Amino acid sequence: MKRVLVVDDSLSVARQLEKIISESGDFVCVGHAKNGAEAIKMNHTENPEIICMDMNMPGMDGLTALRTLSVMDKEVKVVMVTSLGGVGDKFTEALKLGAKNVISKPFEVDNVLRILREL
Amino acid sequence: MAVKFFGQFLVEQGLVSRDALISAIDLQDQKNLKLGEMAVSMGYITQVDIERAHNAQMSKDMKLGDLLVEMGFLTLTQLDDVITRQKNTHLYIGEALVQVGALTGESLQQHLADFKADQAQYISDGIELPVNIANSKIWEMTADLTYKMITRVLDLQFRPGKCVTVEMLPPSFMMAAMDFSGDVEARYLISVSEGLQKSVAKAILHEESVEAESVEVLEDTVMEFVNVVCGNVAAKASQMGVIMNIDPPVTIHPPTGGLPVPAGHTALCFPIHIGDGDRMELILLIKN
Repeated sequence: MKRVLVVDDSLSVARQLEKIISESGDFVCVGHAKNGAEAIKMNHTENPEIICMDMNMPGMDGLTALRTLSVMDKEVKVVMVTSLGGVGDKFTEALKLGAKNVISKPFEVDNVLRILREL
Repeated sequence: MAVKFFGQFLVEQGLVSRDALISAIDLQDQKNLKLGEMAVSMGYITQVDIERAHNAQMSKDMKLGDLLVEMGFLTLTQLDDVITRQKNTHLYIGEALVQVGALTGESLQQHLADFKADQAQYISDGIELPVNIANSKIWEMTADLTYKMITRVLDLQFRPGKCVTVEMLPPSFMMAAMDFSGDVEARYLISVSEGLQKSVAKAILHEESVEAESVEVLEDTVMEFVNVVCGNVAAKASQMGVIMNIDPPVTIHPPTGGLPVPAGHTALCFPIHIGDGDRMELILLIKN
């Protein structure tokens, strides 16, 4: 099963994503980081294959963390899960920084799983 | 289920690859000349004129085109010509994807039709504001999108009350707030009663009961609802050419007497009546 790290300052979103991931049968959730800085640390300690990360977080935001992760770890695949997905500039910046896809909130379970399985 | 732009819809649905979309966006960047570049290419101004105007922009909050007219580099007729040429030669993302070989002309038409159907639920129904206020279209859209998200995300039946201006923010069990910055400055607030907070939590967490949830989790669900609405408002605003940045949400516990509206702000209150006496309010604290 592929190892997934969830990064979101919202407890409720993290819970939703952890539930979707753990019930999928294809993925296992290895942890929950509350901002970009924690995500970078947990990427090192938990060695996930996939990171589902929010953009808008207090402290280090998702795009800053993505920029760092894309330099530090070429293997990990990052998918942004964000309410800002529909803002064209943010979406394009995320893809150019190396995100594999951007999922808009509110998200649908089937859509999240399809995108994770396609990675 | 959210406000999207066409390129995002295609990648999210797996209809084009992220690499193809990046190539198409790069092609757009090459082909779609900015206003100054277009004016130079049409022979109306020089690169030096643009640099002078850019320098002047540091001390004047004006669009480049208006500034070029004010500084005498362009006439109003020439500015209109430049804008018309920009519109007539604009390479849209769908056409760019065809040019980079990611879509055929036929598949583009089909995907455009699917995209329009997906986004039809977010077309504004029109909201009336009680006062003349700058950027009124943005605030109407914000209220309209809030109503749509109450239906789609929270699955609640409601009746919107008449929007009024207020001097005091009414007392409530709790509020979740998010600040907008960029082309407009405002604070977006949703206030909820105790019962409604639980309804929001049930919908956000997809749980039948939330009685055992902590206060932190219950408040987080209201903040997440505000985050989802405001992110989608920012997306819709970007389609309208308005930049709206958002900060992470916060919670507020207003005193029993309510909260005064800060000086220099207009407060618009949109009452939202939900069944069983539960009440929600959308409040927009707009900087004048």
